[in-house]
Amino acid sequence: MSEAKIISNTRMHGDYFRAVFDAPEAAAGARPGQFVHVRIDRRGDHILRRPFSIHNAENGRITLIYKVVGAGTANLSHLPAGSVCDMLGPCGRGFSAPAPDVLPVAVCGGYGAAATYMLTRFGGGVLLLGARSRADLLLTDEYAAAGFEVRIATDDGSAGIRGRVTDLIAPLTAEHPGRKLFFYACGPHPMLMALAKLMRTNGWDGELSVDQIMCCGVGACFGCVVKVNDPARPGEWMYARSCTDGPVFRLADVYTE
Amino acid sequence: MANLQVDFGKFQLPNPVMTASGTFGYGMEYANFYDISRLGAVVVKGIRMVPSDGNPTPRVAEVTGGMLNAIGLQGPGVEKFLHDEHYLPGLRRTGARVIVNIWGKTPEEYAEVAAKLEAEAAADLTALEINISCPNVKAGGAAFGTDPKLAEQVISAVRNATKLPLITKLSPNVTSIAEFARIAESCGSDAVSLINTLAAMAIDIETRRPKLANVTGGLSGPAVKPVAVKMVRDVYRAVKIPIIGMGGIVCGADAVEFLLAGASAVAVGTANFVDPAAPLEVIDFIDAYLDRHGFASVKDLVGALEC
Repeated sequence: MSEAKIISNTRMHGDYFRAVFDAPEAAAGARPGQFVHVRIDRRGDHILRRPFSIHNAENGRITLIYKVVGAGTANLSHLPAGSVCDMLGPCGRGFSAPAPDVLPVAVCGGYGAAATYMLTRFGGGVLLLGARSRADLLLTDEYAAAGFEVRIATDDGSAGIRGRVTDLIAPLTAEHPGRKLFFYACGPHPMLMALAKLMRTNGWDGELSVDQIMCCGVGACFGCVVKVNDPARPGEWMYARSCTDGPVFRLADVYTE
Repeated sequence: MANLQVDFGKFQLPNPVMTASGTFGYGMEYANFYDISRLGAVVVKGIRMVPSDGNPTPRVAEVTGGMLNAIGLQGPGVEKFLHDEHYLPGLRRTGARVIVNIWGKTPEEYAEVAAKLEAEAAADLTALEINISCPNVKAGGAAFGTDPKLAEQVISAVRNATKLPLITKLSPNVTSIAEFARIAESCGSDAVSLINTLAAMAIDIETRRPKLANVTGGLSGPAVKPVAVKMVRDVYRAVKIPIIGMGGIVCGADAVEFLLAGASAVAVGTANFVDPAAPLEVIDFIDAYLDRHGFASVKDLVGALEC
């Protein structure tokens, strides 16, 4: 828990923003897929912290990519450079580093692509990005500049193929016969569940960032639980806290109904 | 430095600031942030005989000045609580005073949990808090705390099952909370704690659905504080046993209001989610307040409301 000063906080396009914080404590040791828990407003009516995936952490700075979806993110979008927020983090379990022999494939929906960006530190890979339309695409240039091949699917066909992000997987595997792929996923819950089932059917492995509306962020309130496979009762689920047991779970742990 | 010690008769605390059950996990979640033995006591999340899954998600929703929750008392069950490293064994090593919140689906289950905790961990426990006020479970919880006869059955059953100090946590979702405080007192409860959350709901107007999967939940946070302060005063005028006051305390000034209204101690709840260090700030503020107003002991503040 420490003070984090906003260095810049600018609109990317539409409702999407990029905020850069001076936050040496949170930036130190931050892993891909972890999050920071930010107290945006000290005086207002909205008291709870807001969790944000860490998009990037370097040189003592934390970069967040966020969409204005409610009161908290709206308040954040109005904070000018120089404003100070209280930042808790890095929180939660992140993605593991890819094994040397695998092709890392990030499978993301919308601004879920923010959460997997730091995987580019480990070398080349592929980003499969799904979005509603061209206007909801983010970070594709950044991924490309970091050495990731970017493939896109949009619901309306305004960029990439018309279809779902999972439709991009079969062609990719066909292009890499004999190569082991390892998936890293972040996006809306239905996308993650569809992907998890597809991965199981095809014998692919990976990790998925699965969360729920969060409150304390430190494992105390049990507000943000998600269903995971119960190791003690095969076929049955149990609730795990997405803030501390996750948000990143191994495919083997993800429960699909 | 005023005297912050509080005396509940059967147990004493070094200062009057606790954590509210359900907002502090099992204590270990916050042990990374500070030395939790500095707290008056840690009140852990509700424990029953068997593990429980709790409610479907979403379980929490922010509202103006607070939040709704419908966690539904997810918990590991008493066996795991007593023996798993993440619960009592870990907590024991922190040196914190531990109060266990207990619940069950029948009066017998409440008694069974109390007896088991006493049999296996009496030396590690400062007190038990009887939860007859959770609004988010169908059986147990508030079902017992809003019916005088059932409240009497549960409290008496627990009283007969253990010699450990007992605190009864009261529901605000009744016409007269003082009536339930009197029941707790007459059934042998050593103290009462109040308030649990206020039954409430919120609706997403775009989807026209409730914001909580459980439809309704419990309101907590700064929005409930004036309600809680008033109820503490009502109870203070009705019973002789000490009161632990809670409901929307986010800072030391809030806590002093509860003490003035008649609480002997206070608990910090929702504020833990916002600022893990909030309870420590409350302790320091009370200490400074007592000095500033010339009180030698926090006991002198209890019920010192001028009106």
